Amino acid sequence: MRVLTKSVRDNRRGWIGWAVALAAVAAMYAGFWPTIGKNPTMTEAMKAYPEALKEALHMEDLTRPESYLGSTVFGLLVPILLAVFAISAGMKAIAGDEEAGTLDLVAAHPVGRVSLALQRFGAIVAAVVVLAAAVGLTITGLRGPAQYPEVSAGNVAATSFQLALFGVLFGALAYAVGAWTGRKTVALAVAAGVAVLGYLADSFLPQIEGLKWTQDLSPFHWYLGGDPLSNGLDWAGIGLLAGVSALLIALGTWRFAHRDIATSRHRRMMPALAVVGVAASVPTTARAVPAPARG
Amino acid sequence: MADTPAIQTRQLVKRYGRGTVALKGLDLTVEPGEVFGFLGPNGAGKSTTIRILLDLIRPSSGAVRVLGQDPTANPGLRRDLGYLAGDFVVNGRQTVRELLTYLATLRQGVPATAITSLAERLDLDLTRRIGSLSKGNRQKIGVVQAFMHQPKLLVLDEPTSGLDPFLQQQFVELAREAAANGQTVFMSSHVLGEVQQACDRVGIIREGTLVAVERVEDLRQRALRRITVHFASDVDSAEFAALPGVSALSLEDRVLRCQLAGEPDTLIKALARHHVVDLISEEPELEELFFTYYEVR
Repeated sequence: MRVLTKSVRDNRRGWIGWAVALAAVAAMYAGFWPTIGKNPTMTEAMKAYPEALKEALHMEDLTRPESYLGSTVFGLLVPILLAVFAISAGMKAIAGDEEAGTLDLVAAHPVGRVSLALQRFGAIVAAVVVLAAAVGLTITGLRGPAQYPEVSAGNVAATSFQLALFGVLFGALAYAVGAWTGRKTVALAVAAGVAVLGYLADSFLPQIEGLKWTQDLSPFHWYLGGDPLSNGLDWAGIGLLAGVSALLIALGTWRFAHRDIATSRHRRMMPALAVVGVAASVPTTARAVPAPARG
Repeated sequence: MADTPAIQTRQLVKRYGRGTVALKGLDLTVEPGEVFGFLGPNGAGKSTTIRILLDLIRPSSGAVRVLGQDPTANPGLRRDLGYLAGDFVVNGRQTVRELLTYLATLRQGVPATAITSLAERLDLDLTRRIGSLSKGNRQKIGVVQAFMHQPKLLVLDEPTSGLDPFLQQQFVELAREAAANGQTVFMSSHVLGEVQQACDRVGIIREGTLVAVERVEDLRQRALRRITVHFASDVDSAEFAALPGVSALSLEDRVLRCQLAGEPDTLIKALARHHVVDLISEEPELEELFFTYYEVR
């Protein structure tokens, strides 16, 4: 647990900042509910938007607070920010530390590779849970002030839980690719790519004839497809989010436990410099030998 | 158990991707309680060997035993190891004490006094943020964390690079004390001069194989010292030419020049029969000897 607590301590300031920011974003969206959902002019205006667009943005019915909160607070900015957070933390857990050259020191201590990696990931899970809880508590707390008491606290908790799993999934993906390759940029590219495709697959792609199935592959759909704000926990979605995360974590950790830890970029340059040194010194001796033979 | 080598490798091979072969069948034995210098030019395979010992990388083939155990199968073995990386880098956004305390908890059971006394000795301020420290001070942190738990085996990759002469001296003392304490020290360097004071034996690695293992004392014995003697009156060169260890002797204007291998005792006693105005003895050029030695091989 020592590696985990150290990760938490090293990152606590940044994580608290994220929690505050996410709670603020959630509060801002929720605060607009009375002026949008309870506003007949707005409802009229929404009717004029094309169905496909509304479907893509999951804004079919903005007069129900569950639907409003689902498409705004929980549907767009918060999960995207949480995914950004989790991807960034996930790629740093192993790959970032490895590229900086700081992983060597800890790995040379009496900590097994698997334990080291899982503790680092455990810290990310803890952070994601805290962020999702910050959002959930904010939304629960605003039920009265922002006039949506009909949304049950239990369903908000269920949605926040699924939000946390959604974050964990992207953290796990970035962590796994980073642990597998040791490359931060690869981890970032893969995870960000999956996030973008996943979003498209749950929004615009299903609007295209014959691409409806892509929705089933989207983590966004696993997270919100069952409408947990109205229906509570969606076990199928939870199973997919948790199962895929577990698989990614297992794969990344397994590979990390069996591969070489790379030296830092700075040190990777050293052999190159040495080669230059050898190239500079070798010709003098090399030339000295064949010269008499030619002469 | 006393006879189990601290480090033993058999036919150790390490291939990296892109066809680089860093180690080509390295056979190395380091006895317990000795200070062993691992010498070779950059890129010879020193760091690769060291990283295998710490299980940071895995050998392609061959066997490794560290304190009698396989490093890959026994992460707990690292409790008995102290490691200083070639370029010691740590997250700079923490104080020296925070980092050292954390590393101590990973090892379970390092007395806080061990940290403070080592830090005092190296003149390292524990309250400073690591990011604000100079390179030399950061290297000190590396030295402290490697020595603080009095490990059975210290594995040090170029430990003295970046240290000023005072600290180099401190470091040599630490290494010698560790050896006197029964600990084994394995340190790499690309400069013999850096480690000759500290080491009992040196192994020379070149292009992934061990080309020679020498006692530093033997090297010193074979090393040539340049001697210049000024006499007050004329002397006969034949008197000195036949002395053991003396070579390349010349005598000109009452100034005798020669090279001397081994102890200077017989030469001094021969000189003592005359009035000696001046005597200059230049340090043996171990470095030169060392490099000619393995250039020839």
